[in-house]
Amino acid sequence: MTTAHGGFRGWAADRTGHLTRLRFTSLRLRLVVVFGLVALTAAVSASGIAYWLNREAVLTRTQGAVLRDFQQEMQNRAGALPAHPEQDELQHTAGQMANSSQRFSVLLVATGTDGRTVYGNSGGLSGFSLDDVPQSLRTAVNKQQPLTGGNKSPYHLYWQRVVDHGTPYLVAGTRVIGGGPTGYLRKSLEPEAKDLNSLAWSLGIATGLALIGAALLAQAAATTVLKPVHRLGVAARRLGEGRLDTRLRVSGTDELADLSRTFNNAAEALEKRVADMAARDEASRRFVADMSHELRTPLTAITAVTEVLEEELEAETGSMDPMIEPAVRLVVSETRRLNDLVENLMEVTRFDAGTARLVLDDVDVADQITACIDARAWLDAVELDAARGIHARLDPRRLDVILANLIGNALKHGGSPVRVSVRAERVERAGAPGAETGDGDGGDGDGGEESVVIAVRDHGPGIPEDVLPHVFDRFYKASASRPRSEGSGLGLSIAQENAHIHGGAITAANCPEGGAVFTLRLPRDASDLAEQPAERAGAGRTTGQEDAR
Amino acid sequence: MGQNEPVPSLLLIEDDDAIRTALELSLTRQGHRVATAASGEDGLKLLREQRPDLIVLDVMLPGIDGFEVCRRIRRTDQLPIILLTARSDDIDVVVGLESGADDYVVKPVQGRVLDARIRAVLRRGERESNDAASFGSLVIDRAAMTVTKNGEDLQLTPTELRLLLELSRRPGQALSRQQLLRLVWEHDYLGDSRLVDACVQRLRAKVEDVPSSPTLIRTVRGVGYRLDAPQ
Repeated sequence: MTTAHGGFRGWAADRTGHLTRLRFTSLRLRLVVVFGLVALTAAVSASGIAYWLNREAVLTRTQGAVLRDFQQEMQNRAGALPAHPEQDELQHTAGQMANSSQRFSVLLVATGTDGRTVYGNSGGLSGFSLDDVPQSLRTAVNKQQPLTGGNKSPYHLYWQRVVDHGTPYLVAGTRVIGGGPTGYLRKSLEPEAKDLNSLAWSLGIATGLALIGAALLAQAAATTVLKPVHRLGVAARRLGEGRLDTRLRVSGTDELADLSRTFNNAAEALEKRVADMAARDEASRRFVADMSHELRTPLTAITAVTEVLEEELEAETGSMDPMIEPAVRLVVSETRRLNDLVENLMEVTRFDAGTARLVLDDVDVADQITACIDARAWLDAVELDAARGIHARLDPRRLDVILANLIGNALKHGGSPVRVSVRAERVERAGAPGAETGDGDGGDGDGGEESVVIAVRDHGPGIPEDVLPHVFDRFYKASASRPRSEGSGLGLSIAQENAHIHGGAITAANCPEGGAVFTLRLPRDASDLAEQPAERAGAGRTTGQEDAR
Repeated sequence: MGQNEPVPSLLLIEDDDAIRTALELSLTRQGHRVATAASGEDGLKLLREQRPDLIVLDVMLPGIDGFEVCRRIRRTDQLPIILLTARSDDIDVVVGLESGADDYVVKPVQGRVLDARIRAVLRRGERESNDAASFGSLVIDRAAMTVTKNGEDLQLTPTELRLLLELSRRPGQALSRQQLLRLVWEHDYLGDSRLVDACVQRLRAKVEDVPSSPTLIRTVRGVGYRLDAPQ
C-alpha cells in the first residue's frame, strides 16, 4: 500500500499509535481501500464499455467498406470471367481486384478447362493462398443454399476474423452465382488493431489515474477525519501524563469540533479540580510545616530548662520531693520524645515541600556504619560485615538517619543479633532496581551504575505479608495493639525519603531462613542529584560553595 | 579549660523571651557568664560595651537579622560567633556560614550541645606550641598565634586560625572534611562539611593572592584540602 506512510507526520514518539495506523483495520487503510474499489469499479466498467463500443464501430465500418468493395469487384471482374478461366486470366483479375481502394489480397479459385482447379491470387506466389483460408469458411462459401422466398441466391458472402502470427485479418469469401470462380479476400486489420490498442492503453492509464486520484482523495478524507482524532489522542495522552493545561484548538462546527470542545471542558474541569486539591494539599502541608516550626520556639525553651531539671535529678538524688521526682522524669523523657517527633515532622515537611537538599561528602561506607552503631552504643547487638574501602559520595547525615532507623527498627522489632552487610554492586542501567528512582544518568561511560548495597537483617519473626507493603507508610503501625511509644511512626518513611533523595531506595522483605531484611541501595555518586535541588534554592548561592570544593 | 581560668563571657542575642531566659539559665549553670540582648541593635551595642569572648546569635531577629549582625561584627571583630538557627533549612546554614559564623546549632538545642560547641570554639584560640612556619609570603607564628602575609598582620577568626594551623601542621598532606571537622570544630562524625568549605573560602580570601585560583590551600578532589608551599 503506497498510502500507509506518506500521510503521517510528527509524533514519532507514540509507538502504540504507530502500530494502530499500520493495522489492516485502520480507518485510513479502510478508507483508501473503499475509495479504491469504488474508483476501480467505475473506471473499469466505463472504459470497458467504451472500448467495446469503439471496437465494434471501427471494425464494422472497416469490414463493411471492405466487403462492399469486394462484392463489387467480384461482380464486376470475377463475374466477367469465363466459366473455365485460364491460370493467367485468373491471376490478372485477382491482381486487378486487389488494386481497389481498400488494400486487400484476393484469391480466386476456379475450375480450369481441363477440370483442374486453377488459382489466381494477387501478390504472386508468396501471396494469399487457400491455406490461409480457414476450412470452415471454405465449407460455408462452397455450400449451396436452398433457394426460398427469403433467400434469393444460392451462394452467400461469408467472413471471418482470424489471427495469423499475431496480426488480425479479415478473411471473407464468396462465389460468383452461376458457376463463376470462388473469390477470397484477406485484409489486414492491423491499423485498426493498433488504434484499438492505443485506445485500450489510454483507458488503462485513465483507470490508473482514477485509482491514484481515489487513493489521494481517500488520504485527504482520512486526514481531515484522522488529524483531529490524532490530535485528540495526543492531547488525551498529554493530559494523562499530567499536563493539565493541554487544550485543543476548536475550529468549525462539525462533530469533531464538538468532541474537541468537550475535551477542553473536561480538561478544564479536571485542571481546576486538581488545582483545588493541590491548593488544599499545599495549605495543609504549609500548616504542618508552620505548626512544627512554631512548636520549635517553646520547645527550645523547654528543652533548655529540662536539662537543668535533669541535671538536678542526676546530681542531687534524694534532695527532690519523692512525689515530684517521677513527674520531673516524665517531663524530661517526654520532652525528648516531643523533640524527636517535631524534628521528624520538620524533616517530612521538608521532603514534601521539596526543599530537602543533599550535603555531599566522600565517605568510607564501612566507617560511617561503624560510627553510627558506635554513637548509639549498639556495638554488642550488631554484627557488622563490612570491609573498609567502599567509598561513596553521599550525604553522611542522611545515611546516618537511614542506618539509625533501619538498625534501630531491627533491634526493636526483630531482636539481636542484627546483621549489617555492605557490598558494592554494579547494576546495568536497563532494568536496574534503582533505575526507577534514579535519573539513569550516572555519568559512567560504560552504561552501568555503581551502587552501594547495605542489608540489615534481623532474627525476629519477620514482617507479616499484609504489613510488608505498608512498612514505609507514615504513622503505619504493624499492629493496633502495639504501644504508641515505640517510635514516632515516621522513621522508616523518613529513611525511605532519604534514600530517594540520593537516587536510591530501600526494600523490605522476609528472609527464607526467617527474620526481616531491609536492603538499602544507594548510587555511589549522588552528585548529579544534588545539583538539581540546588538550582531551585538559588543558583547564586551554590556557586560560592562550588569554588571551595 | 582549667578551673582557675577566667570564666568565659558570652553574649546571647535572642528575641524570644522564653528561649533567652531558658538558654541563659542553662548556660549560666554550665559555668558561663551570660549577657543577653533581645535585638540585633542592642546586641551590637552590648558587644562594644562588654567585649564578650563569644556571641551566640539567633538568626531570626526583628529589625536587622542575624546574618546582618554577623556581617557587621565581622567588619571589625574576629571573635567567634555561633549561630542559633530555627530551621536546619540548608539555605539558612549556607548564608550564615558565608556571613562569617564559626559554627551553628539548630533549635531546639540541648544546653549541653551548645555548651560543648562554645567550649570547642573557645579552645581554638588557645596556643599550644612555640614554633613558626612559613609558606611563601605567609608566616604562621604559633607562639604569638598570629599570621602575617608579606609582613602584614592578618585578621583571622579563631576558627580560621585553627584551620590554618591544622593544615600547616601537615603540609602537603590532604585532610578530609570530616578530619578537619574533628580537629577544628571537634564535631562528631556527622559534622556538616559545609562548615569546612565556608571556612576555607573565608580563609582563602584572606591568605591567597588570588582567592579564586588558590596556590596555598588546595582542593584535593574526592578527599578534602591540603596546604602547599607555593612553587
